[in-house]
Amino acid sequence: MTTDHDVPSTRVRTLEQIVKHDQTWERMAARYRVTNPVPPWKSSLDAMCDALDEEGAALPLLTRRDDEDRLSREVYSSLPHPENQLVALAHSLVTRNVIDEAELADRLEAVRARLDAAGATHEP
Amino acid sequence: MAETDLGGSGHDTHEHAGTAPMVEEVTDFEVLEIALRELAIEKGLFTAEDHRRYTEHVEQLEPAAGSRFVAKAWLDPDFRQLALDDAIAASQEMGVDWLHPTGFGTPSDFTAFEVLEDTPTVHHVIVCTLCSCYPRPILGMSPEWYRTPNYRRRIVRWPRQVLAEFGLYLPEDVEIRVEDSNSKHRFMVLPVRPAGTEGWSEAQLAEIVTRDCLIGVALPKPGVTTNATRPLHPARRPVAGD
Repeated sequence: MTTDHDVPSTRVRTLEQIVKHDQTWERMAARYRVTNPVPPWKSSLDAMCDALDEEGAALPLLTRRDDEDRLSREVYSSLPHPENQLVALAHSLVTRNVIDEAELADRLEAVRARLDAAGATHEP
Repeated sequence: MAETDLGGSGHDTHEHAGTAPMVEEVTDFEVLEIALRELAIEKGLFTAEDHRRYTEHVEQLEPAAGSRFVAKAWLDPDFRQLALDDAIAASQEMGVDWLHPTGFGTPSDFTAFEVLEDTPTVHHVIVCTLCSCYPRPILGMSPEWYRTPNYRRRIVRWPRQVLAEFGLYLPEDVEIRVEDSNSKHRFMVLPVRPAGTEGWSEAQLAEIVTRDCLIGVALPKPGVTTNATRPLHPARRPVAGD
């Protein structure tokens, strides 16, 4: 595990790309005229945080929340909530060596391909 | 990538009068949430069943239970006494089980719960200075501002000023008590029943007990049934390492 000091100063380029793409719920909801105040993945993210807090010791609650505070302020200040909560969680898990960044990048690609393929089957 | 119906006319069987049911585009954030969850499950940090159970729990939470709780306490002296003596038992009477879903509360929904009774001269407000502990079984998920270092840090130092920023101006002779939640203790405010509500039913009273009243940053008022919306500002002089 890295020291607390390293967490905000360690760059996670995979996440930087996501921030740069800027598909925040605020923008997407406006574009598609959707009125849901929060993105559809919000409750799943909250449950993931609960499950991490409850079921394991990989990322203790106070460490997770402290990282989230610092990262939201120092690294991901351009992101609104809950996008900053999600990206901060990913940043914590990568920089604390729970998840490898290359492994995360591969999985992002695989999930994206899977979801886009599912979407394509519904194309008119 | 699928095109959404930006004209708002709906597709063949769904009409939504100018709004769409959901964003028809896979966003990077949605992909990230799924990728993280899958990797966490594969690494054994939790199981898919754990995650499903917590998601179901989170989605069931709402502040209405707290509103009904207060309305009942205003009308029923026995319930009010039970609420003050054993808030967990009083919650159960309202259908809220603090032991759900794990049998002993999640770390962020621990079973020690206390109701803080306001009086005409004492006002309570809750916070979690360490993170964002909140009485979720009875109030639902915390509002975004409750999680911010700005609120958490300042409400304990300058409560009267911070409450004024919420539009709550308390007279100098009203003492303000800030209760700091933690992983062992959760709190909810029992406000004073406002004038002008004589003869009201429990349902009528519950309507004016908004989430903000239960946190203590607002007071119930006849005619006011929603929380005020407010912009979020980062702390101007953040404390290093906080």
